[in-house]
Amino acid sequence: MATSLSNVFLKGIAARSLSRPLNGLFYCTRYSNTVSNDSDTHDDFKPGNKLEGSGICLSNVIEQDVKDNPVMVYMKGVPDFPQCGFSSLAVRVLKHYDVPISARNILEDPELKNAVKAFSNWPTFPQIFIKGEFIGGSDIILNMQQTGELKEKLKDITSKQ
Amino acid sequence: MSSRGATAVLSRASRIRSKLQTALEATVLEVDDVSYQHAGHAAVKGSSDKETHFNLNIVSPKFEGQSLVKRHRLIYDLLADELQSGLHALSIVAKTPHETNPSK
Repeated sequence: MATSLSNVFLKGIAARSLSRPLNGLFYCTRYSNTVSNDSDTHDDFKPGNKLEGSGICLSNVIEQDVKDNPVMVYMKGVPDFPQCGFSSLAVRVLKHYDVPISARNILEDPELKNAVKAFSNWPTFPQIFIKGEFIGGSDIILNMQQTGELKEKLKDITSKQ
Repeated sequence: MSSRGATAVLSRASRIRSKLQTALEATVLEVDDVSYQHAGHAAVKGSSDKETHFNLNIVSPKFEGQSLVKRHRLIYDLLADELQSGLHALSIVAKTPHETNPSK
């Protein structure tokens, strides 16, 4: 049942990313006061500037993505069809572990791409979040696999399946 | 001679090397241009700048006590201008001198 639900959700995420899900879904004034303080977010990874026009709403979307999905990847392409060697590498590493991978294709939405960069203060893709924590890009996730750190971090996600 | 040198346009590889060496005082600094491996990469089609992908191998005492994320972030911050002017991707290996000679 849990696996089935995860698969449905994963398909939903992937399908939505292919149809520009954020287009027209959000509208907000330039200086929205909607600012959420996520105490779980390490200071290093908190968005530096929350008053960036439409970026403010995307920032909230990203916060929700990262919170709701134990493994969240912002990548070029989607897990079944990566469009960049680095995004492909990151997904291949994660697929070694039996965990649901949620992803958004940043090639489909330049505003999402810029919002994710601002959110994590990290300039390149893929960007990987595990249980709400920013992990890094493909170099770091590969290194963590080699040291065994990744297995440790994903351990309790696997056990919930 | 000096004036000719002063007017030469530095390649991206040279600029990267110079910025990193100045800030990190690296004992090892390898800057490899692997752009040819990514020729035709969708995200860089149409880019007139050919120096888009680099592998970096850096050994520096400045990384002492820093997590991998912090080390990579430090390097990205130093190269922010390059990333905004055509540099597409970096593969980074960042270690302290101790990590390259664990027996010492």
